[in-house]
Amino acid sequence: MALLEVKDLRTSFKTEDGVVNAVDGVSFTVEKGQTLGIVGESGSGKSVTCLTIMGLNSRRNTISSGEALWKGKDLLTSKPSQLRKIRGDEMSMIFQDPMTSLNPVHTIGKQLVEAVQLHRDVTVRVAKARALELLKAVGIPHAEARIDDYPHQFSGGMRQRVMIAMALINDPDLLIADEPTTALDVTTQAQILNLMKRLQDDFGSAIIMITHDLGVVAETADDVVVMYAARVVEHAKVHDLFQRPQHPYTWGLMGSLPRLETDTERLVQIPGQPPSLLRPPNGCRFHPRCPYVMGVCRTTEPALVGAERDPSHLQACHLDAETKDREGSKLVEATMAEA
Amino acid sequence: MATEQGAREQNGQMELHGDELLVVDGVKKYFPITRGIIFQKAIAHVQAVDGVSFSINPGETLGIVGESGCGKSTLARCIVRLLDTTEGRIMFEGRDITNTSRVGMRPIRREMTMIFQDPYASLNPRKRVGFIIGEPLEVHKLGTPAEVKTRVQELLEVVGLNPEHYNRFPHEFSGGQRQRIGVARALAVNPKLIVCDEPVSALDVSVQAQILNLLKDLQDDFGLTYIFIAHDLNVVRHISDRVMVMYLGQVSEVANRETLYREPKHPYTGALLSAVPIPDPVRGRERESIVLEGDVPSPVNPPSACRFHPRCPRFVEGHCDVEEPELRPMGPGHVAKCHYPLERWPMTAAEMRRHGSAEAREEPVQA
Repeated sequence: MALLEVKDLRTSFKTEDGVVNAVDGVSFTVEKGQTLGIVGESGSGKSVTCLTIMGLNSRRNTISSGEALWKGKDLLTSKPSQLRKIRGDEMSMIFQDPMTSLNPVHTIGKQLVEAVQLHRDVTVRVAKARALELLKAVGIPHAEARIDDYPHQFSGGMRQRVMIAMALINDPDLLIADEPTTALDVTTQAQILNLMKRLQDDFGSAIIMITHDLGVVAETADDVVVMYAARVVEHAKVHDLFQRPQHPYTWGLMGSLPRLETDTERLVQIPGQPPSLLRPPNGCRFHPRCPYVMGVCRTTEPALVGAERDPSHLQACHLDAETKDREGSKLVEATMAEA
Repeated sequence: MATEQGAREQNGQMELHGDELLVVDGVKKYFPITRGIIFQKAIAHVQAVDGVSFSINPGETLGIVGESGCGKSTLARCIVRLLDTTEGRIMFEGRDITNTSRVGMRPIRREMTMIFQDPYASLNPRKRVGFIIGEPLEVHKLGTPAEVKTRVQELLEVVGLNPEHYNRFPHEFSGGQRQRIGVARALAVNPKLIVCDEPVSALDVSVQAQILNLLKDLQDDFGLTYIFIAHDLNVVRHISDRVMVMYLGQVSEVANRETLYREPKHPYTGALLSAVPIPDPVRGRERESIVLEGDVPSPVNPPSACRFHPRCPRFVEGHCDVEEPELRPMGPGHVAKCHYPLERWPMTAAEMRRHGSAEAREEPVQA
C-alpha cells in the first residue's frame, strides 16, 4: 500500500467573482522514502493540492472532492480531530515563508516543545531534550543557548531550519515542503537541501517537494509532477522527464531557464500569461500559449495517459508521439549542448 | 589625478580611458545606528557598501551578484543618487555627480533611470498606467500632453503591451505585465543607463524569460547600458557582459562573463556557482556542491581582514584573518580579492580545502 494515494483530487474556492477550481482532478502516489517533486508556476495549484491533503483550507468557502488515502484512510472525510492527530505527527509540512510561519511572541523552544507535547505524553523536560536534539540535527550552532531565543533573533536561513526541525520533531512518515528554499539565497538553499537529503536518509521519510525551480527538482526528486492551470500535464520519473520531456509546457519551462553552462542568445519564452482559473480556456488549458496548437486542442481536453514508448510516463497532450520525441530531444540537445 | 590613480590600483582591471559611461570610485555607504531620541548619537555604523570601485562602458551590461545583505541594492541606490554616499566618487559621463544638488541632478536623471524589484510595490496603485509611464516626461517637460500620450502608447507597444491599455490601473495587470510597465517608465526619457535592481526576481520562470528577452532586445535597439543586479547567477550570466561578485559590502571578484563562470578565482564565487541547482538530474547529482557554513555576518561588525574568512573553505589562520587581501589581477579584465585564489575549476570541497601549503603563500599568482 502506498503511503499516500491521491485520486482525482478537486478543490474549488467560492469567491466573489465566482468559483475558482484551484485543483482539478489531480492524482499521484507517494511511496515510503521517496521524493515527489511538484513543479509549476504560481497559481498552478501545487500549494492548494498539499493544503487540501493536509486539511488546511478554510472550511467556509472550500469544496473538495476525490480521495487522499493516507495509509489507506481517506483524509478528506476524516474528522478534524483525527486530522489533528495525523498532522504534525505522521505527516508534517514546511511552509514557504520562514519569516511569517513562526509565532513571534514565543521562543522557538516553546514552539518546538508544544509540537512534541501535542502528540506525545511526555514531560516538558523530555520534550525539550528532543527539541534540542533536532535543533542540533538541523545545524543550529550553540543550540543550547539559542533554544530560548525568539524567532526575530534568527536569520532567514536559521528560521527555515527551525521550521524543518519543527516539522521533523515527531519523525513524520511524510514531509510536505512548500517551496522550502524560495526565500533563501543559493548558499543557504544548498545547506537546506543537503540537510533535507541527509534527514531523509536517516529517518526514511517520504517528501513532497513543491517548487517552481526545475534545478531543485532535478537534484532532489525521484518522481516529478508538472502542473499547469490546476491540472497535471506531465508525470514521470525525474530522469525520463529531463531526458524525454513530452509536454509543450514542460519544454517551455525548460527552455525558459537561463543556465550556468550553456549560452543561449535568446531564451525560449512561453508567450502570454497563465490563464485565470475563474474562466479556464476550453480544451487543453495550455492551448492559448502553445506553439504546437492544433484544432483538436481548442475543443477537446487531452487525457493524462502513458506515452507510447513508456506507459509509466504520463502526459496530457494531443501531439503525436513522433513530434513529441523529436521536439523534446531537440530541446534537450539545445539546453545540454555543452554538457 | 590622485583618486583616479587610486581607482586604477584598486581595480587592477580597469584602465580608465575617459569614455566610460559611469565610474564608481571607492564608494562607501555607512548607515548610522543611533541611540537617543532628541540628541541622537551614532553608536555604530552598518557598513552596507565599503569601498566599491568599477567602471562601465557604453553599451555594456554589468551584472552584480551577491547574497541578500551584500550591499548590491544600496550600491544601486547610491549610483542613481537616491542615497548620498558616505565617501568616494561617482562620475557619470565624466562629470562628478557625487555631490550634485537636487536641481543639478534633474537633467542627469534623464540619462539614468532605474527598474525596481517588486512590480507590485513600485507602481502607484491609484494612478493610471498612462500617467505612471508619462510622468517622467512631464517632470522633464518633454512635450505637450498630446505628445506625451503618443509617446506613452509607443512605449507600451515597445514593451509588448497593448497601447489601448493606457487608461488601466496597475492592479489590472499581472506581475510580468507590471514589470513591463516598470521597464516602459524607465525607458520613457531615453536614458543611457538603466539600473535594474532584481527586475525578474519576483516573476515566474516563463515570464522571467519574457522580461529578460525584452531587456536584451531593448539594449540592441536603443544602445542601452545596464547595471543588472540579481542574486540568481543563471540570470546574471545570461544577460551580462561582465560580472561583479559582492560579499558584505565589498567586491570579491570581477571578470568577463565567460571567465567568471569558467574559471572563478575567489572561493566565494566558487561556492556560489557550485550551490546553483542544475536542471539536469544526472549531472546535478554527480556534482558535489561546496556548502558554506553559517550565514553572512553582520555588516555592523564585519570580520577582520578578509571578510569572507569565517566561512571560507581555504581559510589560512594567521594570514586571512590578519591581512586584508587586495583586488589582484588574475588575467585580462579579471580581478579577485583573495590570498589563495582557486587554481582551477571545478573543484570539490575537499580539493578546495587542500592547498594552504607555504609555497602557495610565497608564490605570486600568475596572471
